[in-house]
Amino acid sequence: MTTEKQQMIGYIAQLLRKPGLEIDENTPLVSSGLIDSMALVDLLLKLEELTRKRIPAAKVQPKDMDTVAKMFATADRIGKPRKQL
Amino acid sequence: MLRFAHLIEPLDAAPSERPFITHWIDEDEQSTVTFGEFRQRARAEATALQQHGLAAGDRVIILMPQSIGAITTFVATMMLGAVPAFLAYPNFKIEPEKYRSGLSGVSRNLSAKFVVIDADFPEDMLGYISLSGGTKLIRAGTATESPQPATPARPAAHAEDLAFIQHSAGTTGLQKGVGLTHVAVLRQIGHLSTALKIDPDRDKIYSWLPLYHDMGLIACFMLPIVCQVPVVMQSPIEWVMQPESTLQIIDHHRCTLAWMPNFAFQFIPRRTPQSRWADYDLSSLRLMINCSEPVRASSMMEFQRAFSVRPEVLQTSYAMAENVFAVTQSDIDRGPTTFHAEARHFRSQHRILAVAKSDKGSITFTSSGRLLPNQQVRIVSTSGAPVPEGYVGEIAIQSDCLFQGYFNRPDLTSQAVRHGWYHTGDLGFLHGGELYVVGRKKDLLIVGGENIYPQDIEEVVATHPAVHDGRVIATGIYNSDLGTEDIVVVAEVDDPLSLSNSIDLEIEIRSRVVGSLGFAVRKIFFKPPKWIVKSTAGKVARSTTREKLLKEHPELAAGI
Repeated sequence: MTTEKQQMIGYIAQLLRKPGLEIDENTPLVSSGLIDSMALVDLLLKLEELTRKRIPAAKVQPKDMDTVAKMFATADRIGKPRKQL
Repeated sequence: MLRFAHLIEPLDAAPSERPFITHWIDEDEQSTVTFGEFRQRARAEATALQQHGLAAGDRVIILMPQSIGAITTFVATMMLGAVPAFLAYPNFKIEPEKYRSGLSGVSRNLSAKFVVIDADFPEDMLGYISLSGGTKLIRAGTATESPQPATPARPAAHAEDLAFIQHSAGTTGLQKGVGLTHVAVLRQIGHLSTALKIDPDRDKIYSWLPLYHDMGLIACFMLPIVCQVPVVMQSPIEWVMQPESTLQIIDHHRCTLAWMPNFAFQFIPRRTPQSRWADYDLSSLRLMINCSEPVRASSMMEFQRAFSVRPEVLQTSYAMAENVFAVTQSDIDRGPTTFHAEARHFRSQHRILAVAKSDKGSITFTSSGRLLPNQQVRIVSTSGAPVPEGYVGEIAIQSDCLFQGYFNRPDLTSQAVRHGWYHTGDLGFLHGGELYVVGRKKDLLIVGGENIYPQDIEEVVATHPAVHDGRVIATGIYNSDLGTEDIVVVAEVDDPLSLSNSIDLEIEIRSRVVGSLGFAVRKIFFKPPKWIVKSTAGKVARSTTREKLLKEHPELAAGI
């Protein structure tokens, strides 16, 4: 697993604050109800930061964010190189 | 505005060179159409739709991302006297279950001739569009390939004809289609544009609001067409990701007018790094109107202070799809009034007693303004009788732009409209000629601008065998960071083993809620038997239990 994926898993664990809950890159997050829709926005922003890409939110569907693995695949598929600020 | 007989007339008369819609995608990607270009495109599409067999009175569902293309299809449909309705386009934030049930219910009720979707519409959602009774699916763009943009043979639209259907907010797929006539929309825009002193040579509207809700559809699309005012719009989902874009767009395009729900007034400053607050010049803003959720003065003040907006820019309005849009509007020269009420009488008796601002335990309400012309409001009790002045009751309205009824749902119409008065389900009071909206009847939770009924959640949670039958409450707890309510659930469990193993139980219950209702809850608390307070009638006492929960978990009230 890449460092970025590990960082994302760490971020999700921190967001959920549930000791005892194990998450890996294939844990369903949306379809299981673990993540609510407000938190998904934070995840997409984190994904942009970790991949250094701009991800057009209007093109992202819930299934694209269901697992950490799918999130990174989505970023590869539709992300645009980020403009340097 | 009554100089126009229907909504296409102002578009026909608009100056060709004036910019109409600018679609902002990001700082590098934007596109603009003038009124002239838009007219041409809409006519070409209308011609193509007519060739497909679309005729006056047919319904058309538009399922496209927020774009100039979606708006063109909407107008092209109206040009033929057919009746369009925008439905929400799926996005990553929409919970799939909820979206699917909403889509299938709403599309079935409209029994549309066409459903227009874009090329990227997700395949897994297609099966939920009701295509019974001869409804045809069309891909957008295929209709615009007509070689010669022409004026379609248009049936003469009548003022009393249905112009379009907009959907009221609602949960679990029970959104109601509000049928609106040309004349009702034109009257509403007439009243609103006079109150706001709209000037097409000076004004430019900014919007991130969805087109399938009244604020986006009426204030930020119909009003620009009828008043021939330019509008800069972005997709709501792009906005949620980058709320700072509101500041970029207003600054860059020198926008003068915007509408937003209450939570946005805090969401934007909180999601913009403070180091950049001073980078934006919002001095072009003439009016920014807080509308569609109960208004909180503190949220507006947060926005005003963060970006040094002139205080007189911030205004309020009370609006709903059933009245086309606005019922009230604050006086733009004075701004909304605040009222300080004694808290104890308000909470226990819904009685409004004025006290000084400095009084300990006072509650501050911000008015939604005065009635627009030809609007009447009554504050009524549950029996429908007017309540005495100084008391809170349900807001009932009558006006010259009230809807004709819920499309295809006479049962819902007769529940909501009684003796010519539309019963809004909102609670409020009148004082000094201004309307104050205090909340929703029926314990409604308002989460991120969405109405959620606690009973729906309780029912699902109670289906889990570990949960004591009927001993569940769902409630909303205001989250000051988000400016909206979080859903919190309390459930009693019989077996002490379940309490110690609560993570697994929580996961099971969460997936049941998402599976049945399509939204997630923020927190679930498991409690031993007899923890939940019951009323004398043996029903769970939601508000008393909520108070007990807040006492035991003060971190909830602190928004942690």
